[in-house]
Amino acid sequence: MTESQLQKLLGSTAPDPGCEGSGEFMDEYCELVSSGEPLPDRFAAFLTHMANCVACREDTESLLALLLEQEKTNTG
Amino acid sequence: MNTLAIDQESAEWLRDLQGNGAAREHATARLHALLIRVARGEASRRRSTLPGRAIEDVDDLCVQAASDALMAVLAKLGTYRGAARFTTWACKFAIFETSTRLRRHAWRQRKVELDDTIWDRLPDAAPPVLQRLENDQLIVALHRAVRDHLTERQRFIFQSVTMDDVPIDVLAERLGTSRGAIYKTLHDARAKLRRVLIEAGHGEPVS
Repeated sequence: MTESQLQKLLGSTAPDPGCEGSGEFMDEYCELVSSGEPLPDRFAAFLTHMANCVACREDTESLLALLLEQEKTNTG
Repeated sequence: MNTLAIDQESAEWLRDLQGNGAAREHATARLHALLIRVARGEASRRRSTLPGRAIEDVDDLCVQAASDALMAVLAKLGTYRGAARFTTWACKFAIFETSTRLRRHAWRQRKVELDDTIWDRLPDAAPPVLQRLENDQLIVALHRAVRDHLTERQRFIFQSVTMDDVPIDVLAERLGTSRGAIYKTLHDARAKLRRVLIEAGHGEPVS
């Protein structure tokens, strides 16, 4: 069993706010990342949840892709 | 609730949506149109995850998702704090509603069952012999921990999500609950398994 398989099975032990708790940070996270700004430490638990939850990670990637696309359209 | 400094465009959205009359109607229609575009964009991004037979229903599904997202946004206007632009905050609801529906749509004709043969199929990248031995012992210990220490519901959710790649939203629908509740069960199951593995002498499996 590889490290990534084990991670997928057991997740991380770090504090994890769950789906609803993380959802509150998703929009702010995506704007910070899309504008290239550094992430404050308060996003640590959000990032843990992203590693642990496929659905929330995919939704966040979708919102980020949308913002990057909008940015490209605005500057293009 | 704390409100951060809100940018002008977001403030205008809020003012119009919280107002009355034509301005509110116009803002609601603009927001609905935005959410439909976002839902269609999300469906387009996820097109490859849908079986062929499911594609024809996707546009209806996007319109429903956008309408539900609009209802959620309007119901939660009072919780918007301005941490991100209003449109980003609103698009989050459209993506959630759309992706949840698309995952369920893709799985609508598939069964979700507890399948213990999955333990025999845990892939292994043929590591060196000693590592292989340790891995085999860990898999056996994990399998035993799942069997002996998880409740029936925890076991079903743990195996379905982590080993069978069943989307958490599909499980939520089949079990009549929410994504958050399924995740909580998964989280508790994982914590219990880690504890059992450590007590069985397998160290801290994942940091």
